[in-house]
Amino acid sequence: MTVFICILEICWRATKSGRGLPQSRTLARWRCATKFAERLGLRALVVTFSLFVANAYSATNDFFTQGMALNQAGQFPEAAAAFQSDLKHQVSPGALVNLGIAEWQGGHAGAAMLAWERAAWLDPYDERAKQNLKFARQVTQVDAPELRWHEKISAVLPSAAWGWLAGVGLWLATGALVLPRVFRWRKSGGPQALAALGVGIFILALTAEFGVAGRTNLGVVLKKNAPLLLTPTRAGEMILTLNAGESARVLRARGNFYFIRTLMGAGWVARENIGFVVEK
Amino acid sequence: MENIEPPTAVRSRVLKMWRLFFCCWLLAIISKNLHAQQPVVLPPGVAVQMMLPQPAVDVSPAQSYSATAAFDPPTVRVGEKTFYRVTVDATQNAIAWPDEIAAPPELKFGASVRGQISRVEGNRFHPLTSFVYEVTATQPGNFTVPGLVLPIGWPPVEIPPATLAVTETNLVATISARRLALEISGTNFFPGQPFRVRVLLFAAEGNQIEALRELEFNGGGLLTDKLATRQSVEMVKRDGQMRPAFVQETVATPLVPGSLNISAQAFTAGHEFGGPVAISGQVTIAGGVPNYILLTSEPLTITVRPLPDGELPGYTGTMGKFLADKTQLSTNRLRVGEPVQLKFGFHPEGDLTRFVPPSPPRSRDWQIIAGKPGENSFTLIPQTDGATMTPVIPFSAFDPATKKFYDLTIPAWPVTVIGEGLPVQLDDWNAAEKNPAPLKLSGLAMTRGKTAVSLKPLQSQGWFVVAQLLPVIFFWALWRWDERRRFLEAHPEIVRRRQAKRELRRVKIKIEAAAAAGDAEKFVQHAAAAMRVVVAPHFPAEARALVGGDVLTQLNAAERNGRDGETVRNIFAAADAQFGGTSISPSPLRAEAALLVLKTDVEAVLKKLEDKL
Repeated sequence: MTVFICILEICWRATKSGRGLPQSRTLARWRCATKFAERLGLRALVVTFSLFVANAYSATNDFFTQGMALNQAGQFPEAAAAFQSDLKHQVSPGALVNLGIAEWQGGHAGAAMLAWERAAWLDPYDERAKQNLKFARQVTQVDAPELRWHEKISAVLPSAAWGWLAGVGLWLATGALVLPRVFRWRKSGGPQALAALGVGIFILALTAEFGVAGRTNLGVVLKKNAPLLLTPTRAGEMILTLNAGESARVLRARGNFYFIRTLMGAGWVARENIGFVVEK
Repeated sequence: MENIEPPTAVRSRVLKMWRLFFCCWLLAIISKNLHAQQPVVLPPGVAVQMMLPQPAVDVSPAQSYSATAAFDPPTVRVGEKTFYRVTVDATQNAIAWPDEIAAPPELKFGASVRGQISRVEGNRFHPLTSFVYEVTATQPGNFTVPGLVLPIGWPPVEIPPATLAVTETNLVATISARRLALEISGTNFFPGQPFRVRVLLFAAEGNQIEALRELEFNGGGLLTDKLATRQSVEMVKRDGQMRPAFVQETVATPLVPGSLNISAQAFTAGHEFGGPVAISGQVTIAGGVPNYILLTSEPLTITVRPLPDGELPGYTGTMGKFLADKTQLSTNRLRVGEPVQLKFGFHPEGDLTRFVPPSPPRSRDWQIIAGKPGENSFTLIPQTDGATMTPVIPFSAFDPATKKFYDLTIPAWPVTVIGEGLPVQLDDWNAAEKNPAPLKLSGLAMTRGKTAVSLKPLQSQGWFVVAQLLPVIFFWALWRWDERRRFLEAHPEIVRRRQAKRELRRVKIKIEAAAAAGDAEKFVQHAAAAMRVVVAPHFPAEARALVGGDVLTQLNAAERNGRDGETVRNIFAAADAQFGGTSISPSPLRAEAALLVLKTDVEAVLKKLEDKL
């Protein structure tokens, strides 16, 4: 952000110093724009806004660095809090991985595995998140969630990628069908092949979209020995207790309870005992 | 020849040395495990008792018991009180005292007290029990309470008779009965509220002071604090005079609500002051063997009201005004299962207060253990790492001055509880597994990586869906436009008709303008142009290439031969004349006026021709 301000200032001064010299049309237009902006007092506004953004950015950067320092000092609850503050501004796989490590070392297996699942959601190819999830499942003796075939497809790329792919496929197919006719191109196999490709991409992406939607219902048990109840009431009969870090698929909600399905069984669990990979 | 020792001597010397060495080694081993005996530590009281010589207790048989009975004072006026006092040198429990005393009916027996004291005679402890009755004489005369026999041991102890002389009022000066004086710091109290009680024994003749022993309070429902007892000899104002008195002051606490009649009883004990005494004033303390006389006081009534409603949580019986000191927590960062000490303190305002420390509350996240008496602390042990605050300890007290409960709750402290750490490394590694789990946790990520605004998938955000559909909508619009264009290409007459209508509208405006301006020349030109334009699509041809005859072909026979046809011919004749530079009429002005009148007809013709487009 500091570099951006410097560049802005240099450009501003360059245009002002270029008066009287032969200039390109673009530069002349830029000069007019800066003159106009200057009259409106926008220069100060832009610099102030840039500084504000720079400050905000540096503030978030501080939480990440702070969290790392606290973790290395052994202050795991404080480190976790710092990483969570960082995540409030922007979500990133690095901060989620570090949050998971801090939570794990603080003894919260459920929260740690949830953080790593989120990191994997953002970046399926993050090696740290994958490694830590495998390690944690080995330690806590829980299994990875069972994904349906379309959910497995959706896990290959980040969720946003499938959205864009679907869009690109749709545009490609629509454009390949419409534009040749509009521009009266000679009929050939090229546009039709492109249209077919676009439709194929769209259908594949659409399938993955369903997988993404399905995966948003996945959650992780946060607390150790969380009870799985027969009915959505506090006094409900307990079917079994769940391990922290166990994956669950949330099917419906009622009041303060979710009906979940795990590998061990299905039942109701209190809201505070489940964390969604994608927050509702 | 050298002096050489024989082999047997050498052998025996070696044996002796080995024996000595072995004994020393054994001694060293044994002494290492021997510990010196620790001296027995005695508690201080026991140690003092062991050091001080103590008189023996008199355990002599029954024949040595004696008893006395007397009225004190022996002479009273009618209506005055006296005390019938029986003293037996036996223990109280050994005496089966009768419930009723046979006495003359003129003597009214009132409240009675009894008490026991241990007196030292010679080098022995002797018990002494007194029974004292308040007696009021209703008539003058000499009255004798007969003696009685008490079956204490063998032979039974005889209580001698006692005689009371009752005189007429104001005839003889009598000595008033000696009594204790009782003073209480108030009359209205609450259960558990301590109050000060003073028992006074005024000096006898010659400012002779006697101590009091075995002080007891009668009345029930009262608890006295023996640790708060204070003795003094001081000048006390009584009946307008300052008189020396032995004062024994203590703190009492009523236990039950209601009306309590309190009286005191104690034995006079001469110079036997049991404990430190503060003496002020000039007094005499007699020496010698004390005369143990059981005295009582007049009863006083106090009212103990029940506590009002509105008891706050955590009320343990603490009475009085207290101010909370700052609590102290030994640490605010601890692990699950690690104890932490919470110290609290309350300092009273005033000395008549009662402090009962708060009880440990129940908490799901904490195990709370009260400290030892006097420590004013709790030991808190977190059970889970979800605890972020120490438990609130409810506590309240009652202030008798304001008659209200007030809160002294010990607030919660923020803490950080660290749970049991999970392993960061695994020891086992199964090489046979196809995809073995990693052995340890990864290191920290040095950078954030690719950032996002939120975890929510883009597809669930409305703007994304709209952004995806916009190009599609655009392509659809483009396709529709192309379809329209193709249609118009296949049907050019539609284009021509549309163009003709557009052009006609423009020319009509010009006609209107020319007619309004009275410009016949322009009127004729525009009218002719309009007619050409409106019929041009029918041919199709360029409008300027058409003539009046072409226009007439678009009218039916009736119209052609009628007014409409006439109008067309006139307009085109005038237009042609203008084009040729001639006039159709010898009077140009009249011709112009005639042309302008044709405006309505021209409009009618144009309307009909436009309808045919």
